[in-house]
Amino acid sequence: MGKPKALVDRETCLACGGCISVCLQDAVSMIASKASVNKEKCISCEICIKTCPVGAISWEGQ
Amino acid sequence: MKYDTVIVGSGPAGSVTARFAAESGAKVLMIERRSEVGIPVLCGEGISKNVDNYKVLEGRRWIANNMDGARIFSPDGTKVTLAAEMAGNETGYVLYRDIFDQELARGAVRAGAELMLNTRAVNLIKENGKIKGVKAKHFDEEIEIRADVVVGADGVESKVGRWGGIKTTLKPKDLETCAQYTLTGIDVDRAYCDFYLGKKIAPGGYVWVFPKGNDFANVGIGILASLSTPGLATKLLDKFISSHPELKKGEPVRFLAGAVSVCEPYESVRDNLLLVGDAARQVDPITGGGLIASIEAGKIAGETIGKAVEKQKFDKDLLSIYEKAAEEAFYKKLKRNYMVKEIMLGFEDKTLNMLADSLKNVKFGEVSTLGLVKALMSKHPSLLVKLRPLIKAAKV
Repeated sequence: MGKPKALVDRETCLACGGCISVCLQDAVSMIASKASVNKEKCISCEICIKTCPVGAISWEGQ
Repeated sequence: MKYDTVIVGSGPAGSVTARFAAESGAKVLMIERRSEVGIPVLCGEGISKNVDNYKVLEGRRWIANNMDGARIFSPDGTKVTLAAEMAGNETGYVLYRDIFDQELARGAVRAGAELMLNTRAVNLIKENGKIKGVKAKHFDEEIEIRADVVVGADGVESKVGRWGGIKTTLKPKDLETCAQYTLTGIDVDRAYCDFYLGKKIAPGGYVWVFPKGNDFANVGIGILASLSTPGLATKLLDKFISSHPELKKGEPVRFLAGAVSVCEPYESVRDNLLLVGDAARQVDPITGGGLIASIEAGKIAGETIGKAVEKQKFDKDLLSIYEKAAEEAFYKKLKRNYMVKEIMLGFEDKTLNMLADSLKNVKFGEVSTLGLVKALMSKHPSLLVKLRPLIKAAKV
């Protein structure tokens, strides 16, 4: 089991792009007008989770 | 498909670039991933009246409200008023940003630019290491758009810059994470835009109330991402609204989240590539406002693309005409304001209260952040020590 990855709740995401602009791994993209985390690239650093103004990103499985 | 330039993003920076490139004779395609220009609005919708000087908008439908001034509230509620009638100069408008963006896009189309909606850039086309255009998805169809110059006008989350080798990642201390309600059924003074400061109110940022009418305002918050926890922007905004009865009684007709860079402008040019607007971090680091900078940069970028097409030269050297002209036009101001932001972040709430107290009866020479700093310096010569790097920069 690796570290948990960041996961975007598509219902809550308002597509502001903050998470994308702070991700050092270029792991977040806008897919169908919502942020989406590429699990292969995510290194579980938590920057996007803390940045999200609406709390739409959390650890997968939580 | 082959164009002189393909512009990724139809916000103000993209549309103004498209307009001036087309006016200079370039064959222009602007692509937009969404199905409507200007929607959803991701903006506080405040803008300086200097926007009128650029003559890029027709009519007045994009204006919701005409402001007389701004009021800044320190953490203990002390009010500093910057009023236009005192200073005799211009302040701002509150916009209907969706209409504003569509008017700018209309200007681009009238100048001859083509606009393609539902078209998401997915990568650059590169051949032998050279940028030759963008790969995009139009609905589900993969398309290749060939162009001599690719313009990244793709906002704070710019991917075009990253694909082109420009490191656009923002440090959390250089990003404001924002949330905003448009509230109706509230009591506001429609003549003033209000700003509320304080570590408990909005750490590393501020709360704004920008009236769109007598009972109708954008009430938003920006906090520094490095001081944020999950969903903190929304939680603090809700707390602010519930502690202000004149706002609490309202109902939201819109809720949005946003992100805005508060850093110095980044490099913006490569061979066959340039960035404009939020993608190039052309945002005032104090206010988080980027509309005027986007329009100014778009005009310069569009004219530079015109020159590039005329000479059939699209390398970094030629496109750097744009970056140099932008530096000349407004980067100095952004760099100076970045220093002010860094200094202000170090201020405790009690310092802000003390400064506001000394300014509460001042008549300002100009309604601007610089006017505010000038007034502060005359009241508090001791601040000169902290502001020394700033003064040095201002003299350059």
